[in-house]
Amino acid sequence: MKPFLHLNAQTVAQAVKSLVKFEGRARLNAGGTDLFGLLKDEFLPEYPEAIINLKSVAGLNYLKQSKGILRIGALAKLCDIAESPLIKERYGALAEAAHAVASPQLRNVATIGGNLCQDVRCCYYRYPRHLGGPISCARKGNGPCLAVRGDNRNHAIMEGRKCFAVCPSDTAVALAAFDARLVVVGPAGERRIAVRDFYHPLGNALERDEIVKEIEVPALAGRARQSFLKFTLRRPIDFAVVSVAALIVVENGVCCEARIALGAVAPGVIRATAAEEYLKGRAIDVESAAQAGELALAGARPLPKNAYKLEIVKTLVKRGVLGLPLETAGEGDAGGPCPHGNPERG
Amino acid sequence: MAATNKGKTAKPAKVVAFSVNGKAVELQIGSEPHQVESSHTLAHTLRETLGLVGTKITCDNGACGSCTVLIDGKAILSCMTLTVECQGKSVMTIEGLADPVSGRLDPLQQSFIDHTAFQCGFCTPGMIMSAKALLGENAAPTEDEVKEALSGNFCRCISHYHVVKAVLAAAPGGSE
Ligand SMILES: Cc1cc2nc3c(=O)[nH]c(=O)nc-3n(C[C@H](O)[C@H](O)[C@H](O)COP(=O)(O)OP(=O)(O)OC[C@H]3O[C@@H](n4cnc5c(N)ncnc54)[C@H](O)[C@@H]3O)c2cc1C
Ligand code: SF4
Ligand code: FES
Ligand code: FES
Repeated sequence: MKPFLHLNAQTVAQAVKSLVKFEGRARLNAGGTDLFGLLKDEFLPEYPEAIINLKSVAGLNYLKQSKGILRIGALAKLCDIAESPLIKERYGALAEAAHAVASPQLRNVATIGGNLCQDVRCCYYRYPRHLGGPISCARKGNGPCLAVRGDNRNHAIMEGRKCFAVCPSDTAVALAAFDARLVVVGPAGERRIAVRDFYHPLGNALERDEIVKEIEVPALAGRARQSFLKFTLRRPIDFAVVSVAALIVVENGVCCEARIALGAVAPGVIRATAAEEYLKGRAIDVESAAQAGELALAGARPLPKNAYKLEIVKTLVKRGVLGLPLETAGEGDAGGPCPHGNPERG
Repeated sequence: MAATNKGKTAKPAKVVAFSVNGKAVELQIGSEPHQVESSHTLAHTLRETLGLVGTKITCDNGACGSCTVLIDGKAILSCMTLTVECQGKSVMTIEGLADPVSGRLDPLQQSFIDHTAFQCGFCTPGMIMSAKALLGENAAPTEDEVKEALSGNFCRCISHYHVVKAVLAAAPGGSE
């Protein structure tokens, strides 16, 4: 990596000050697992002058539950989120999503703040300098999107505009299902941003000098059956082709609350609201789950090489709603018993 | 919030001190040839500054696990760690496993030899360090737990089957 000035921030306020001072030429380092990709491959036109270490800020690594809200410090590590008894018990889909990220070594250092703020994985965008990059494109504010006409197998099937790179974060998908919010601090003070509004086609909603301090996750009213399903080409160390978080609350045989979030299909996390509305008031069975899968595709307009994602979305939504594991043998499961017990028992 | 910090911004450090395989290391930070640059990774410092070349760099991008070392007992990737951020940490590399006095290998190392759990051997130090972290937390892992713990380590020579056997056999509470 090329040299940079390395600063250890002691407080969030100090980190914000340093960001302001460097006027966009500094970057925050939490776990560094995404940041070092940028610094090593130099895929952006400008190399940062300073790196501001956030790990030196005390008291940003916590998980606590109070008044029905789970509060996660931005520096909480993915390994701790995946293993926390509190999160496993009440927010199981989030624990599964954290566990689905990368590899054990990366989860031991990667933070939830960094997971949410990581940059996209588009192969044009990340084309490294040592192979002849960087390549300009719409996301870099310079030229057209190369993926629309090129290799767009891993790109958005919904809501792409100018840029079609998908949000790579696994935890964002589970958090959006819980209607979680980011608590963000900047020179102008504190504000809250819903995870589902955090991503735009060309970047995230953070202003230049803002820092994510905490993630607030409201608990669901009822006892939900939760699942996070991630389809990848190989199991560990791979980004999602499609992922789905589903939270289903069933009372007296009918679904009274349904939350379905789709990952890796759009620049942000998509909430499949048509499918959620459809399920409310119905019994959860193979037919209604399959119909939810169809409805989840509302508004999908795949690019030339990624229509295959549509089938994966349908299948994952159906399995998520039914509480079936990712690898369920064949589609002959119609009407068969749910191997994970009675779907009505949360 | 600004009031608590009187306008101070963060400052760079001048030295970094940590331990490697139980020995204290103190390095100056700077751009002179004898100093560690703030942009140096731990993998680079271990190999190029400290001469501990047992730790391998393969992808240098967090994706293969061959640079795995332990920091405070946890398996991490040294290619994705800044040396300047290791202040106060305890680092263990493959060189730290054998008994320093008798030279006797760690049971894991011996088990890898006994099970021929490598071919070219390039991934092996990383595999052994991931396994070491696992056995430090769980003396009697199941086969699935071993596979999970090693899921961040790639082997191009497909030695995985032998590796899983070797780790299970080396587990003090294991059944093999
Ligand atoms: C081989 C490999 C595989 C991966 N697989 C996956 C995967 O399967 N799923 C997945 O979701 N991710 C994956 N990742 C991406 C990423 O490493 C992780 O998501 C990780 O959680 C990022 O966290 P971090 O703390 O290391 O972030 P960092 O690298 O420290 O930060 C990432 C970005 O966010 C900014 N940032 C960090 N913290 C804050 C904050 N508090 N406020 C504002 N900005 C902040 C940084 O400036 C930087 O730009 C993978 C990465 C690698 C290298
Ligand atoms: S998808 Fe986005 S990042 Fe990729 S080439 Fe198009 S504009 Fe650039
Ligand atoms: S060299 Fe560090 S993970 Fe590949
Ligand atoms: S033994 Fe050759 S890479 Fe694993």
